[in-house]
Amino acid sequence: MGKAGPDVLIIGGGVAGISAARTFAGQDIVVHLVEKENYLGGHAAQWACMATDACENCSACLSIEMADQVQNQENVIIHLNTGIKSIEKNKPGYGIELDNGKTFAVQKIILATGFSPFDAAGIGSLHYDAYENVITTADLNSVLRKDRLKDYLNGKSAPEIAFIQCVGSRNRDQGRDYCSQVCCKISMRHAEKLVHLYPECNITVFYMDLQIIGKETRTLFKRLSDNVTLLQGVPGEILKDEKTQRLVITTEDEKGVARISRQFDLIVLSVGMVPPQDIENTLTMLGSNPNSWGFFNTDKAEPGKDVIVAGCAEGPKDILSSIQDGKIAALEVIEELGIQKKDQKPDVAVLGNGVQAGITAEKIASYGYQVHLFGPAAASDSITGVNMVDNARIITVQGTAGNFSIYYESGGEKKYLTCAAIIASAEPDRLSTGPAGLKNSCMGLDEFCSMAARSPDEINNDTAIVLDYSGPEFKEPARLALTAAIKAAEAGKNISIIANKMLVHGPSGQQIYDSARQAGVSFLRFKTQEDLKFEKNPKGVTIKIKEATLPSLELSLECECIVFPDTRISGSVFRHMADRLNQHLDCEGFLQGANIRHRLTGSPRKGIFFAGSGHDDIDMDDLDREIQAIAAALATGGFDQPNADTGVEINQKKCAQCLTCIRVCPHNAIVMNNKNRPQIVPDACCSCHLCVANCPAYAIDSKELTNDQIADRAEKGRVMLLACERSAALAAGNLSLPAHIELVKIPCACRISSDIILRLLLNGASKVIISGCHEDNCRSLEGSRTAGENVQKVLSIPGMDNSKVVWEPVAANESVKIEQIIAKA
Amino acid sequence: MENATINKNSDLYKMLRQLPRGYNSSECLTCGACNSRCTWFEGEGGPLPRQIIRMAALGLDEQLAKSGMLWDCLVCNRCTQGCPMGITMDKVVRKARSLAVSEDIMPPDIKKGIKTRLETGDVNGLTTEDFVETVEWISEEFVDEVDDPKAEIPHDIKGAKFLYLPNPRELGLNLMHLTAMAKLFYAAKEPWTMSSRHTDVTNWGYFTGQDDASRKMALMVVEAAEDLEIETLVLSECGHAYHVLKYLLEDIIGRKPGFEVISIPEFTLRYAQKGVLKFNPDVHPYKIAYHDPCNIGRKSGGYDAPRQVLAMVCKGVVELTPNREDGICCGGGGGMLQDSTSTAKRMITGRPKAEQMKAAGLPNLATACLSCHRQLGELSKHYKLGIKVDTVASLASEALIL
Repeated sequence: MGKAGPDVLIIGGGVAGISAARTFAGQDIVVHLVEKENYLGGHAAQWACMATDACENCSACLSIEMADQVQNQENVIIHLNTGIKSIEKNKPGYGIELDNGKTFAVQKIILATGFSPFDAAGIGSLHYDAYENVITTADLNSVLRKDRLKDYLNGKSAPEIAFIQCVGSRNRDQGRDYCSQVCCKISMRHAEKLVHLYPECNITVFYMDLQIIGKETRTLFKRLSDNVTLLQGVPGEILKDEKTQRLVITTEDEKGVARISRQFDLIVLSVGMVPPQDIENTLTMLGSNPNSWGFFNTDKAEPGKDVIVAGCAEGPKDILSSIQDGKIAALEVIEELGIQKKDQKPDVAVLGNGVQAGITAEKIASYGYQVHLFGPAAASDSITGVNMVDNARIITVQGTAGNFSIYYESGGEKKYLTCAAIIASAEPDRLSTGPAGLKNSCMGLDEFCSMAARSPDEINNDTAIVLDYSGPEFKEPARLALTAAIKAAEAGKNISIIANKMLVHGPSGQQIYDSARQAGVSFLRFKTQEDLKFEKNPKGVTIKIKEATLPSLELSLECECIVFPDTRISGSVFRHMADRLNQHLDCEGFLQGANIRHRLTGSPRKGIFFAGSGHDDIDMDDLDREIQAIAAALATGGFDQPNADTGVEINQKKCAQCLTCIRVCPHNAIVMNNKNRPQIVPDACCSCHLCVANCPAYAIDSKELTNDQIADRAEKGRVMLLACERSAALAAGNLSLPAHIELVKIPCACRISSDIILRLLLNGASKVIISGCHEDNCRSLEGSRTAGENVQKVLSIPGMDNSKVVWEPVAANESVKIEQIIAKA
Repeated sequence: MENATINKNSDLYKMLRQLPRGYNSSECLTCGACNSRCTWFEGEGGPLPRQIIRMAALGLDEQLAKSGMLWDCLVCNRCTQGCPMGITMDKVVRKARSLAVSEDIMPPDIKKGIKTRLETGDVNGLTTEDFVETVEWISEEFVDEVDDPKAEIPHDIKGAKFLYLPNPRELGLNLMHLTAMAKLFYAAKEPWTMSSRHTDVTNWGYFTGQDDASRKMALMVVEAAEDLEIETLVLSECGHAYHVLKYLLEDIIGRKPGFEVISIPEFTLRYAQKGVLKFNPDVHPYKIAYHDPCNIGRKSGGYDAPRQVLAMVCKGVVELTPNREDGICCGGGGGMLQDSTSTAKRMITGRPKAEQMKAAGLPNLATACLSCHRQLGELSKHYKLGIKVDTVASLASEALIL
C-alpha cells in the first residue's frame, strides 16, 4: 500500500469508475473501488472488438487496458463482487460499510454506477424472448466475442440481417423520452463488422433519425459499405414465417404505395440505455435523487453533497465520454481536497482564431495556470488573466511536454515563449450551404437565432429552416435551429424544419424536439439534396419537396424566408497549425487524428491538446467538458514531472547521429541535447521502443528485454508469440499456454524489427507470431503498420516459408481470437 | 406525381391541434413503427398508417380524403399500439372521416344506416311493432327451449334489474343468438327485460367520427334505459358498442348515466363467480382460442372477462399468437363489415387473420363481437379453414347446467 492520504470511494468499476481511479495514480489519495461484478471494465469489457481491416474506433478494448492499469495501481483498493451495505454521513465525508463487512471512511464519493441495457422483452411485439434469432446489441457483442455468429444465420453465407434502432429509447409514452446517444454508431460499426466477417451479407439498419454525431461517427457514416442499407422507420413488430422459419418485418415500400414484408435471418435490436435497476438503495443512502429517468443528467437531479457523478450514471454516454467523465470527476476531487502537489502551475499556450479559444484560455486560467493566447482574435477581446499574444504567426514549436518553446513572429519581430502544454483550439471555417440564386429570400442561422431571441415577432410568417443540405448537419447548428424555431413558433410564426434527420443529442435533445412539434413546428424529411427544389416567386420561395414519409406526393411549401446554417469545413489555419505541432488532420481535414487512444482531447505528443469544434463535432457544453478534461490531464497527467523510466537507453558511443530516432519517434520525445546528441525525454516518451527497432547503428536498446534477450528466448521447435502489452498480451492474459508457445510481452508491435524476427528463426523458433493492436488503434500510431511491414520484409526473403512468420492484429478484448491463433500455432 | 401544398390552416390540422393526446398527429416522430404493425396484409392498396398521420400533420386534408385510406382503415389501433407519442389511429382517422363526411365522402351503406338509425332508432329501421312481434314469437319458442311454462323473453318491464340491448342481427338473421342470451338471464334468475323503445346496440356515428350523431344514438340508448329504471345495461356481444357505450359513454353524453354498463360475457362471468351460473365444459371438448375484438381489447382493455368465461365453458382453451394488445384484427373493423360493397376487400383485409387461424390449426374459435363473429366465419369459409366460430356468450349458454 502506498502513502496515506484522504480516502475516496468510487462506486462502480465500469469505464468511468476505472478512468477516475486511474486519474488518481500517483496522487496522495487512497481509492476504494467497489464493483458488484467479479471483473472491472463494466459493459465495455464484455464487448466485442469492432475492428475490420483497421480499428473502427469503438474503444471497448480501452476498458480492458484501463482495468489492467488500475489493478496494478498502488493506491487503489479493489472490492470486486461487492455491494454497499450502508453509508453514514460523517462531518466531513462518509462512513462506508460494504456487504462483505469491511468498513472505512471516505471524504468524497464518485458515483459511477453506469447503466443497464434496456430489457427488450419489455416490448412483446418484437418477440425477443420467443425467437432465438432476435437478439440485442449486447447479445451480438457476446456472440461476436465467442465467434458464434454462424449459429444465428440459418447456415447462410449471404445472410440478411437487420438492425432496429431506438428499442427502448425516444419513447415519451413509456417515460424514456431521451436518445441513448450511442446506439446509431454502435449499429453502424456492428454492420461494418458483420460485412467484414460475411462479405456477401446484406444488412438493413432501420433507424428513426441517424445520430451522426462526433468525429468517429461522421467518418464511419461516410465510408459505410455498399452492403449496408439505411432505412428510415423503425419496425415495431417482428413475426416469424412458419414455412421458412425466417423473421418477418413489414414496412412501407420505397415508393410509399404498398406494404411489403421482408424476411431476415437475424435481427439485432439496438437497445437503449436505462439506469441500473439495483442502485436505488445506494442512492437513498447517499441522499442522491436522480431525475425521472433515473439519471443525473438534468438539473432536476441532485447527486448530494460530496458526491460526484461520472459516466452513464449521469446519462447515456459512449466509452470515450465516460473515460473523459472519470478524469473530470477525479480532477474535481483533487481540486476540492486541495491535494495538488505543485503550488506553481506551469504556463499553457492556447492557439486559436475564435471565441472557443478565448473560452478555453479563460477557463484554463481560472484553474490557476498562466495562459498565453495566440490568435488573430486575441487582440480585439482582451481576457482577464490571460496573456494575449497579438497577431502572432507561429514559426515553429520545439521541445517536449512541460518544456515547449513556441517561436513566433509578431509585429515584424521574432520572439519566443516557453510553456508546459499547448491547447489547439482553432475553429473550422464556415461555408454557406444554400443553393445559388435565392439570396434575397435567405437568412443565415445566426441572424435567425438572434431574431428569435431578440424579437421573434419580426421573423417572417412563413419560414423554413433547411438542415443537412450539404451533408450531415453538425450538432451545434442543429440545436440552435431547433431552439430558435420553438421561439418563433411560440410567437405565432409558421416554422418548418426540413431535414434528413433530427439530431437529438444531449440529455434534453429528445424533449426539445418534442417541444418543437408541440409548439407547432412542422418537420419535413428529405433523403437527398435532389429531393428539394427551390422556386422563386413574388412573395418568396416555393420549396418543392419529395418528402420521405409521403413519397407518392410532391409537396409544396410556401416560404417568405429560408434559413440555411453554414456548414463547417476544415479551417484554413488547420494545416499550418497541425504542421507546427507535428500532428495529423483527420479525413475531413479537421484537427486531430481519429485514433481513439488520443481522443477525446489528447494527441500522440504529450502536452499537446485539442479543444473545440476544430477537432470534433461539439457544442459549448462539450467544450466545457473538454477543457475540464484537459485541466485534469494538466493536473495529473504526469507530463510536468519525471515520468516512469522510459525503458530505453541510447548508447552514445554507438550513436551515429543519423537522427533516425528523432525522425521516427511518434511522440516527438527525442530531442537533440546541448551536446548535439539525441536524448530521450522521459516526460514525453510513451515507451513504444520504435526507436530501438529502427536505430541503424543498434545504438538504442531496451533496458529490459534487449534485442539479444528477445532473440535468446527462441528455442528449437518453439512458437514465439510476441504480444503487445496493450492488446494481444492482455487478450491472452488468462489463457494457459501450451508448452510449445513462448509468449513474450512487448511494449508495442513496433518493437520487433525484421532483424529480430530473423534472429528468432535462426535460433530455432518454428514460427514467429507478432500480435498487437489493430491498425489505427496503435497508441504509437505506427506499431501495427510497422509490424506488418517487417513481417512482409522477412517473408520476401527467397525460400522463406510463408507460414513461419505472421502478423496478427488482436485487440485486448479478443481473447477467443488469440486462443484460436494459439491453437493453430 | 400529385402536387399538394402543406397547409397549417387546414380544418383537420387545426381541429387536431386543439384536441388532447391521442389526436396529436402533429407530434408524430415519423418513427414508422405503425407501418410495421398495420394489420392489412402486404401489398398495394389499403392504408399506410404513417402516411395518414403525416397527411394530418401537414394539413393535407384533401389528399387524405381522396386517398381512400380513411375508409380502408380498420380503425383497429393495432398500428399505434406502442406509439412513442401516444398518437391513436382511431381518433385521428375518425376526425378525418368526420370532415370527409361533411364533403359527402363516405360509403353509401354507412350513410344510409346512420340516417335510418337516427330517424327510426334502429339501423335496419325495425319498428316497435316488428320488435314486439319478433320478441314475443321467440319468447314462445323459449318456453319449449328451457321447458318451463313460466319462462319468457320479457320486454318493457319497468324496474327490471337488467336491460339487454341486442345487436340488430339478433333481431333478424340470428334469432338463435337472442334465445341463447335469454337462457343466460333465465339461469341467472334475475329480473331482466328488453326495450321496445330502443332496440339497437350499434352506434355507427363512431365509425364516421360524427360526434353529434354518435351522441344522439347513445342518448337514445341511455334515455330508454333510464325510463325503464333498470340497474344495469347489458350489451350484446358487439365490439364498437362496447367501446362506445361502456368506455366512451360519459364523454359522449357529457354526464354519468343512471345505470351501470356491462357486456353479456361480463354478466355471465359475474353470475358464474357468484355460483349462480354453472357450466358443463364437456359439451365443448375441442380446442378453441379466443379472438380479441379490437374495440373490446385494445381500445377498452377488456381482455380478461371473455377469456375467463371461455375457460369455464370450454375444455381446451388455447391462445392465438399474437394476442391481446397485439391481436390481429378480423379485417372487418371500422365500418368495413357494415359496407356491403366491401365483401371482396374484407377477404383481403382479413388474410392475416385467416393465416393466423390456419397456423393455429384449431377446429374452433370464439369471440365476443358479432361483427368479428361474422367476419371470422366468412374468412373460414373463403379460405377453406373449416373453423367453426362462436361467440363467447353463446358457448356459455350452450354449456349451461340448468
